[in-house]
Amino acid sequence: MMSNIDVLLEVKNLVTEFSTEDEIVKAVNEISFTLHRGETIGIVGESGSGKSVTSLSVMQLIPNPPGRITSGEIIYHSKNNGPVDLTKVSTKDMRKYRGNEIAMIFQEPMTSLNPVYTCGDQVMEAIMLHQKISKKEAREKTLQLFKQVQLPRPEQMLDTYPHQISGGQKQRVMIAMAMSCTPSILIADEPTTALDVTVQKTILDLMLKLQRQHDMGILFITHDLGVIAELADRVIVMYKGKIVEQGPVLDIFSNPQHPYTKGLLACRPPLGKRLHFLPTVSDFMEHTENGEIIEKPKSVSEVLASAEITAAEREIQHKEIYSRSKILQLKNIKTYFPIKKGMFGKVSDYVKAVDDISVDVYEGETLGLVGESGCGKTTLGRTILRLIEPTSGLILYKGQDITNLPPKEMRSLRKDIQIIFQDPYSSLNPRITIGEAIMEPMQVHGILKNDKERKERVMELLKRVNMTEQQFYRYPHEFSGGQRQRICIARALALQPQFIICDESVSALDVSVQAQVLNLLNELKKEFKFTYIFISHDLSVVKFMSDRMVVMNKGKIEEMGDADQIYNNPQTDYTKKLISSIPKGQLQDIQASIETKKNYRAPIQT
Amino acid sequence: MVKYILKKFFYGFLVLFGVITVIFFLFNVLPGDPATVVLGQRANKEAVEAINRDLGRDKPLLVQYLMYINDLSPISFHNSKDRNSAFYLDEQKYSYNFLMSMDEGACVVAKAPYFRRSYITKRKVSEIIRETLPETAVLAFSSILVASFFGIALGIVAAIKKNTFFDRLALVLSALGMSAPAFFVGVIIAWLFGFVLADYTGLNPQGSLFTTDVWEGEQLDLKNLILPTITLGMRPLAIIVQLTRSSLLDVLSQDYIRTARAKGLGFYKIIVKHALKNALNPVITAISGWFAGLMAGAVFVEIIFNWQGIGYEVYDALTKNDLPVVMGATLIFATFFILINIFVDIIYGILDPRVRVK
Repeated sequence: MMSNIDVLLEVKNLVTEFSTEDEIVKAVNEISFTLHRGETIGIVGESGSGKSVTSLSVMQLIPNPPGRITSGEIIYHSKNNGPVDLTKVSTKDMRKYRGNEIAMIFQEPMTSLNPVYTCGDQVMEAIMLHQKISKKEAREKTLQLFKQVQLPRPEQMLDTYPHQISGGQKQRVMIAMAMSCTPSILIADEPTTALDVTVQKTILDLMLKLQRQHDMGILFITHDLGVIAELADRVIVMYKGKIVEQGPVLDIFSNPQHPYTKGLLACRPPLGKRLHFLPTVSDFMEHTENGEIIEKPKSVSEVLASAEITAAEREIQHKEIYSRSKILQLKNIKTYFPIKKGMFGKVSDYVKAVDDISVDVYEGETLGLVGESGCGKTTLGRTILRLIEPTSGLILYKGQDITNLPPKEMRSLRKDIQIIFQDPYSSLNPRITIGEAIMEPMQVHGILKNDKERKERVMELLKRVNMTEQQFYRYPHEFSGGQRQRICIARALALQPQFIICDESVSALDVSVQAQVLNLLNELKKEFKFTYIFISHDLSVVKFMSDRMVVMNKGKIEEMGDADQIYNNPQTDYTKKLISSIPKGQLQDIQASIETKKNYRAPIQT
Repeated sequence: MVKYILKKFFYGFLVLFGVITVIFFLFNVLPGDPATVVLGQRANKEAVEAINRDLGRDKPLLVQYLMYINDLSPISFHNSKDRNSAFYLDEQKYSYNFLMSMDEGACVVAKAPYFRRSYITKRKVSEIIRETLPETAVLAFSSILVASFFGIALGIVAAIKKNTFFDRLALVLSALGMSAPAFFVGVIIAWLFGFVLADYTGLNPQGSLFTTDVWEGEQLDLKNLILPTITLGMRPLAIIVQLTRSSLLDVLSQDYIRTARAKGLGFYKIIVKHALKNALNPVITAISGWFAGLMAGAVFVEIIFNWQGIGYEVYDALTKNDLPVVMGATLIFATFFILINIFVDIIYGILDPRVRVK
């Protein structure tokens, strides 16, 4: 076991409060945990569970007002100064620890770097702040760090501005910055949530490698248990500001105790089997009126068993779908964007966002479209609706060529084909009540006789997406991300479409909420006989949803076929890489990674 | 970067060309006959026709337009022989250097742009502008300098001390400053500081940059600059305070500021190094827009303080229907606008690397 000398951080009965206009919210409520040298603790929970507030409390970066640490201790065992309580040190002293001994990586690599300074400058700044070395030495050191975090062309990278590099590269710069003073503790707040799975894998590998080299303690915060399965030594599960369960990673995964943990584990779309619906947290627990959690009697395996689709069922289903007619046919679609223009607007170079794609969609089918960011999947989705005009190619909807349909007819066709966008926060107008937002498309297309009938219909729709009628008069900011996405779904349903394109519709949501929305989409499909095109970067989600799946890469189709077949037997290297990068969170993988970690750590502990 | 700048100048040139066209046609549809302006209502017919011929107003509009452009262009085409040609190279009008000359009198010359002459005083408009523009430029420049300096400083303090008494006070005062009309405030300021309190302030209620003293001749009188500067600078100052404040608050809530704090940087270093450079972009846009606007908009202030600037001159010319002066001044204002915008674009390119890419 680890001795006391190895203790890096002790959080004891920490309470962090945020005061809003009418109440005081305990974002973190009496939590205690200990982090040791060389250990990774994964903190898991949905948004609002207090996991980020925990990390910001350790860094003393809680925005004040409205936030405040009201009680508890955060004892950091400093290399040089011995144990200090971070809640009591002065701002000036805290600055000596920040970035120097305790470093942090944030969720959004896109916005976490200052756009007006070069990557090199920003890392050098951190180095020169805490170490007394010359600018030249700092630059040399930054170059070493860039090499260490495996940035391509490290010399050039020093003078590159953040907007010129990709998200994954930015996160590497952030890691280089965090590592610049070889901190004892690294806090990573959802560092890979905004990244593609393949990039996520390389970043996680990199963090593990750096941890071994420097024997750091890592606090890894995420909403997705799968991500930390192979990374963490111990897991803390947070729910509503409290720690509901903590323990070694293998125990949490093999034998979760708390119903919330069970729900979190079960609600990720499983890769091995087919389900009718995804279990959600509410399958395992419910709240009493005074907020206590009651466990429901069902076990995870029971719920999963009741949801499973057998291969025979699926075969029958597919036979029926593929005997129907084709609702949408795409023939050699190309969508190019001009990138270079001459002095007089003559285009000299293009980005081939969609490059010669031909796909058929059958009535009642769910076609999955998967690929990494920049592969052209979103552009393809929008091209189908002609929100972006195709450069060339043919779009046939129910046999009718809509490629050159005049705008007026196209508008009435849009009633039939609806799209649900990625970001539920920005796709609702903040100044329009949600009832009006759902009613508006009906008014535009003249559906139903008058507003009274339309309002009734909105009420029905709200109930259908599991919201209440009273919420008609509420504004978008009063709702959570999952609720807003359900409102967007209701809005799409208002026009009684036959064809719905879901463009990353669940990507901005927590896994537990994601499961609810996916279930809703599937229920609606059964009820209204929709055809879906389901676009996502997350292969596990696409696989769960779709009958057939298209893997896109650089504007072209990499692979197309039955979703299960592609997953079980990928043909191209790209698909193989995509599948192997998915964090699966399976027990044998966790055990294997624990074994490798032991081998690394053995020489240090003797 | 050079390509970026050249491109900006090219676009600027296109805009200028558009402005010239609009000015020409706009002033040509305005009512008012220059001949009657020059000769009065009861002029005889021959004299009116002679003047119209002299101004080229007997020619078709399109030819007049070409003449106007030819007059303004630094490189122009002329006929040096035929006195009746619309493009006759008149030494009264231009001082020029031959670039190329062909037979039959056709020639290409380089010259200073010719803004024509005032109908009333017969002086060259370029001369009038040369005399009055510096006065206005000095006033506008000192106003915008004062407004920028105090505006940015107060805005920063207000943002840092958000929701304190100082912040609220700054907001209230800037709201007042924004809504108070210059012609009213100008009179109050002139009366209060230049008359009632004149014994303490030692300022004049009116006066220009140069005063003509009986004994010492024309001399620079900088103290006359103070009151008009305050009057003219008040609105931009108020706006810059609010803009700096909101822009800085916005930047301070960005993720990269949190990153800077997580690095262990001190508060003031974060403000100065990481926040300001990002926050000042919209402020610079506003300042430059205002500067160009002040050049043109100083009319009231110039009249109140009897400041002999171009605004005063334009006001005077407008009341007398002296079109060449108005057109010339308008063109100068437009040119300033364009130049300042190019300048701002270049500053942008330096401040924000993201702008440079396209």
